[in-house]
Amino acid sequence: MDVFGSFALLLALVCAVYALVGGIAAIRTRHPLLVKSARQAGLATCGLIFLATASLVYLFFSDSFWVAYVVAHSNRDLSTFYKIAALWSGQEGSLLFWSFLLAVYVFSVLLAYRNKNGELMPYVGVVLAGVQIFFLTLNNFVASPFKVLGAPAAGGAFDVFTRADGNGLNPLLQYPEMVIHPPNLYSGYTGFTIPFAFALAALLARYPGEKWIHLTRKWTMIAWCFQTVGILLGAHWAYAVLGWGGYWGWDPVENASLLPWLTGTAFLHSVMMQEKRGMMKVWNVWLVFSTFMLCILGTLLTRSGVVSSVHAFAQSSIGNWFVGFLAVVLLVCLAAYVKNRDYLKSENQLDSMVSRESSFLFNNLILLVSCIAVLSGTLFPVFSEWLSGSRISVGAPFFNKVNIPIGLLLLFLTGVGPLLAWRKTSTDSLKRNFGWPLMFALAAGLVAFAAGLREFYSLVCLMLCLFVAATISMEFFRGAKVIRARSGTSLLASAVELTTRNTRRYGGYIVHMGMVLIFVGLAGAAFNRDAQKEMQLGSTLKIGPYTLLLQSVDSKPEKNYTSERMVVEVMRGGNKPLMMLYPERRFFQTNEQSGTMVAIYSTLREDLYVVYAGQSPDNQLPVIHAYLNPLVKWIWLGGVVVVLGTIVTLLPNRRAVLALSAAPKAAPVPAALAQPLTPSVTLREGHD
Amino acid sequence: MTKRRPIGAILLCIVGVMSTLLGTPGYAQQTDRARQIGGKFMCMCGCNQVLTQCNHVGCTTSSSMLKELDQYVARGDSETTITQAFVQEFGTKVYAEPPKSGLSLVAWTLPSLYLFVGTIVVILVIWRWRARFTAPLTPAAGMPAGISEDDLQRARRQVAQETED
Repeated sequence: MDVFGSFALLLALVCAVYALVGGIAAIRTRHPLLVKSARQAGLATCGLIFLATASLVYLFFSDSFWVAYVVAHSNRDLSTFYKIAALWSGQEGSLLFWSFLLAVYVFSVLLAYRNKNGELMPYVGVVLAGVQIFFLTLNNFVASPFKVLGAPAAGGAFDVFTRADGNGLNPLLQYPEMVIHPPNLYSGYTGFTIPFAFALAALLARYPGEKWIHLTRKWTMIAWCFQTVGILLGAHWAYAVLGWGGYWGWDPVENASLLPWLTGTAFLHSVMMQEKRGMMKVWNVWLVFSTFMLCILGTLLTRSGVVSSVHAFAQSSIGNWFVGFLAVVLLVCLAAYVKNRDYLKSENQLDSMVSRESSFLFNNLILLVSCIAVLSGTLFPVFSEWLSGSRISVGAPFFNKVNIPIGLLLLFLTGVGPLLAWRKTSTDSLKRNFGWPLMFALAAGLVAFAAGLREFYSLVCLMLCLFVAATISMEFFRGAKVIRARSGTSLLASAVELTTRNTRRYGGYIVHMGMVLIFVGLAGAAFNRDAQKEMQLGSTLKIGPYTLLLQSVDSKPEKNYTSERMVVEVMRGGNKPLMMLYPERRFFQTNEQSGTMVAIYSTLREDLYVVYAGQSPDNQLPVIHAYLNPLVKWIWLGGVVVVLGTIVTLLPNRRAVLALSAAPKAAPVPAALAQPLTPSVTLREGHD
Repeated sequence: MTKRRPIGAILLCIVGVMSTLLGTPGYAQQTDRARQIGGKFMCMCGCNQVLTQCNHVGCTTSSSMLKELDQYVARGDSETTITQAFVQEFGTKVYAEPPKSGLSLVAWTLPSLYLFVGTIVVILVIWRWRARFTAPLTPAAGMPAGISEDDLQRARRQVAQETED
């Protein structure tokens, strides 16, 4: 099966090269058969990548311990669940997995548009094939997951060795979220290839209008959603597994995932300027290019060892390949832009400083500043070493100080931007939309201050969260009230009806509400506290309102590891029993590594986070480390709301159906106005 | 006005709960001096975490660094002395955040610079695009009769485009 996998990968590379060369020839000759054959080659490339990936999965499931990658990342006792995760746990497999996910996207795009957009698709196919060629080159010649263990023998033969068992999977990855976090994150990274391909293709083909934006909107939203989920799952994994009490440490690998997310978010907002007003064409194209390049840069940082990280793969020369690819992509983008920049000319015009357009400009500015600040902070140790010879670390305290004010500015714009009108917002409209929310937020701030909340950023964050929540709620309420007056349904049903009529707008509001919940959770971090104690049986540790009583410590052999766990009774308000917690340490015999399993009692108010921190070197007593982290659950809830909102934005509007049924009953109108009007179009300010 | 009250009341309740949660005095960070100083150093095990937050099972680096830190603090050394000792032992990479002097000052000033320059650019862009705007002519009496079908269609398309979604 390893030979089959290798062969499938090699053939996939050949097909991808044909898709690229054939595609270019098809663009030049416009011969329909060439167009078709290039597309078929693209589909075949994807099919072959699927087969290669399936081969590697099979090798894991069949415990093929003659394949180096399987030996390095699996063992016989590893559960089926984690044998799937082993696929992307190392450099070679994760690159194949990258190719696989990219192939899923490419296959979907080539199939979905096989009979549409005939002028654009050959270009799209060529760009996608170019990206696939790069990854397939890595899969075939630089980091093949199908290498076998062996040594050259006499007579030019090759003796294959088979190991009795493998080294096992990294303990940190043996956690359920690790089976879903990387696929989500990688789906985000690879998904941004699609808008990149369409943007570059539209530029190269000088494809008219904003159609490429309409075509890629869903793909961009899907990629963005995967990226968001991936980031949040990664944060939750770090929280639940690493045992340091936090969820975001500004590690270079975490930062690498945040960079394309920030530019992708900027693109999702600024693209509306182009859709509505035909503005910012150059900016949008470069935002898409940058997002894709940041995905590659992130991968470069993760895999090259340029920056140190616990999450990073082993140092290797593979980074040079990514640098080369990044350079090629940049050159192609620059060349395409220079050659066809007149195609991107737009009539940029603003009617007023206070308008939706201006808010988008500031939104983009803040997202970009955040992105560049994170990027420069991440790379600063490298630059400082180049310039001064000594590496200066840039850790979480720096990133927090820099990004918290930026994040709060963004939160403010989240509340303001959507309610500003396109073109111009009147003073009346400002008062109507923001008067009550602003007063409410200020009053809330005063109440919170009086109640003892003195942490500046948390107080501002709380006020802004309430301001944004109030503006969004008022938007839903106002719209639902109108529908309720007409239909007589309940307010909730009216709000649902309202959302289904304009999924993009109200789905966007739901996403914003999710972000508000995430910010609420982040604000709680300022009030984290912890306590650590060596524990004897029957001794207690107090933290906040909780008392932790150590009842016992036991050891239990499991299939793939030995578990040593504490049995901790949690009491609240003195001696009132609340629940039992079982923080664990796991020892994995195959690779002689250990890991933690944190026990968390999570409520909306706070998380009681208990870690079995090992044994004291002085007296061998078990050590318990407990954290009290307020409001953390709101972050995960916010993530769920963001995903729901994104799904809503991807749904089609119901209004089109209503339009067809409403049209016959239209009242007679003067001849000059007798054209079919878009039903219930109400010209009012502050809508999208 | 009356219909806004229930929402206002609900939101005020949320504020009350939130401020109570966040404002409880018991939640204040209770740190000793060692913990406060330790928060300014990185763990040198390569985990890229702040020293006081490194909790990797079996991380001997953080425990020995914390022990060393405790000794300095117990001896009554000043923060500057402790910092110098750590920098001498581990190099400048022990800083959790770049010091606000020398080359490291660049790291601190860059984000503010980006924001400042970016804001100026955006304001200039808005000002420039705003200057291009010319107010539409006020229709004279009897003007509606002069609106062509093409103009009307174009206006309809624009209205639809700018108000949908």
